[in-house]
Amino acid sequence: MQLNKMAWRTLARNKRRSLITSFSVAFGILLAVTFTGSGDYSYTSMIDTSAVMGFGHVSVEAAGYNDRPGLARRLTEAGGVRKTALGLPRVAGAYVRIMGQAMFATGAKSVGGVFMAVDPQLEKPLHNFFLRSIVEGRLFDDTNGRGAVVGAGMAVKLNLRLGKKVIVTVTDKNGQLTSELTRVCGIFKTGDDSVDSGMVLLPLGRMRQVLNYGPDDATLVAVYVNDLRQVKRVRTLLAAKLDHKANLEVLPWQETQPDLAGLIAVDRLFNYLLQFLVGLVIAAGILNTMLMSVLERTREFGIMMAVGMTPRQVVGLVLIESFWLGVLGLLLGVILTTPWFIYMSRVGIDLSRHIGQDYSAGGVLVDPVMKLRLYRESALVILLSAFGLTMAAGVYPAIRAGRTMPVESLKET
Amino acid sequence: MQDAPIVQLEKVSKIYQQGQVEVKAVDNFDLTVRAGEFSVLCGPSGSGKTTILNLIGALDAPSSGRVWLEGQNLAELNRGRLSRLRRDRIGFVFQSYNLIPVLTAFENAEFVLSLQNVPAAERRKRVMAVLREVGMADYVDRRPDELSGGQQQRIAIARAVVSEPAIVLADEPTANVDSEAADTILDLMTMLNREKGVTFLFSTHDQRVMDRARRLIRLRDGRLEADENQDR
Repeated sequence: MQLNKMAWRTLARNKRRSLITSFSVAFGILLAVTFTGSGDYSYTSMIDTSAVMGFGHVSVEAAGYNDRPGLARRLTEAGGVRKTALGLPRVAGAYVRIMGQAMFATGAKSVGGVFMAVDPQLEKPLHNFFLRSIVEGRLFDDTNGRGAVVGAGMAVKLNLRLGKKVIVTVTDKNGQLTSELTRVCGIFKTGDDSVDSGMVLLPLGRMRQVLNYGPDDATLVAVYVNDLRQVKRVRTLLAAKLDHKANLEVLPWQETQPDLAGLIAVDRLFNYLLQFLVGLVIAAGILNTMLMSVLERTREFGIMMAVGMTPRQVVGLVLIESFWLGVLGLLLGVILTTPWFIYMSRVGIDLSRHIGQDYSAGGVLVDPVMKLRLYRESALVILLSAFGLTMAAGVYPAIRAGRTMPVESLKET
Repeated sequence: MQDAPIVQLEKVSKIYQQGQVEVKAVDNFDLTVRAGEFSVLCGPSGSGKTTILNLIGALDAPSSGRVWLEGQNLAELNRGRLSRLRRDRIGFVFQSYNLIPVLTAFENAEFVLSLQNVPAAERRKRVMAVLREVGMADYVDRRPDELSGGQQQRIAIARAVVSEPAIVLADEPTANVDSEAADTILDLMTMLNREKGVTFLFSTHDQRVMDRARRLIRLRDGRLEADENQDR
């Protein structure tokens, strides 16, 4: 059959119209890549930032700790849990940590805040945002020492400098208030005021003693994955491996950071809604063009049917035209979008003049540079959706063409 | 012995609604066309010639009465089967040629064969043979808008006869061409009828066509006025 040839020639007959239609598909792809890519980038960036602030992508905690955090709920055999996590595929790191509330005081002032006790030998800046953000001094060396790394905001509030003493007061595992003298060895500045004025890093070994914990106790093991899309899989695998250990739970970031998860879910929903509406507008444009093209060719369809083409073949012909318009749109879309995507994924648009350097959402710092990141699955969904949309927009015009009555259309001049 | 009828119209009427008014385009009309005929439906404008061709060509359905093509009652066929019937058993030649503008002369002539899924090599052979017969073998790559009216009509004739249909319905085939082209077209159709046995049924009020017809079916107001055999 000559349908393919006829479809191509019909598209070529009205080059400008075909190009405009294809460009609208291509423009749709560009918009979808921008929306989805900025979402993928900012969500990934926010989730990663949130994860490196303590809980990891997957968190192994004492049962109930997530719902009612308290230092009395502790995880025993935390080292074993860490080793198990590190043995899993796609796990990039696992860290034993104690996180809890404390009072921090100097001779003159005191403030409430949160501490995170870490093992200085194991922690890496890649998975610890505070280590990356140290602006003065350094992390303590000795897990059993008295070093403390405080946020810049807290340093201002308590008038702290390197070498100054800070008294940390906590409630131990038995509910008794207990205090420990520490000395500031580093100051970090993340840019988030609430974090910088309320967070302190402390040595893990020392805090175990202060809290009356056992030598392998902790509140959580923070697990980091190579790729966010693997969180669910790693969580399932880890939960299965740790199944024999009672009194613990393995939680993904969505459960340890519900505010962030909620924010992302709502934002993603609006993002999809916006894309859907843009898609709808583009589809309406394509439908309009296709319909116009079909209505202009009523006589041609009448001739084809008069000499023996079946209505189904006429429908097929118009659908083939949609198919090639879709393919052309995809090609143009890729050509149009690739340089934009490369620029936006490497350089991006700096929004710091508008939103500042320390803009945070859901309790997490947001990168002020808008960049794009596109997962392969997202790219595939965009391309398939754009193609599907073009095909769908061709269905009604195709049916209209198939309903042509030859005897009526041949009367038209 | 008479040939079997290809077309039979039995008490056929066709009524059109024009606003509030009913127009009877064909009125209680009977007709039999046999294989090998070279017949002409003639009459003034509005006498029902084109309507009758449309009814025979399965492009339109009668308001009453029955149309048979090679023994098949057209009323019993759905749209898809009617399309296939037109493809396989009927050739059309229209007044305004009605070639498909995006196809070349060769592809237009080939169109029906490709709808029939005839293999490419055989299509080429048959189309080229017909194009040679209609004198258009040198114009195979031209698009319709690069051909004169007479040339387009010759391609339309090639398209109509290449699939060897039971009947070729030609609606005013000479109306839009000059007299020289009209003569060429009529020569061609006469030759195809005499040498190949192609059955033609024309509608026309062109005297040249009527002069060539072996049977003249005269119409007036949708009714049969006279059915005359002319010895040639």
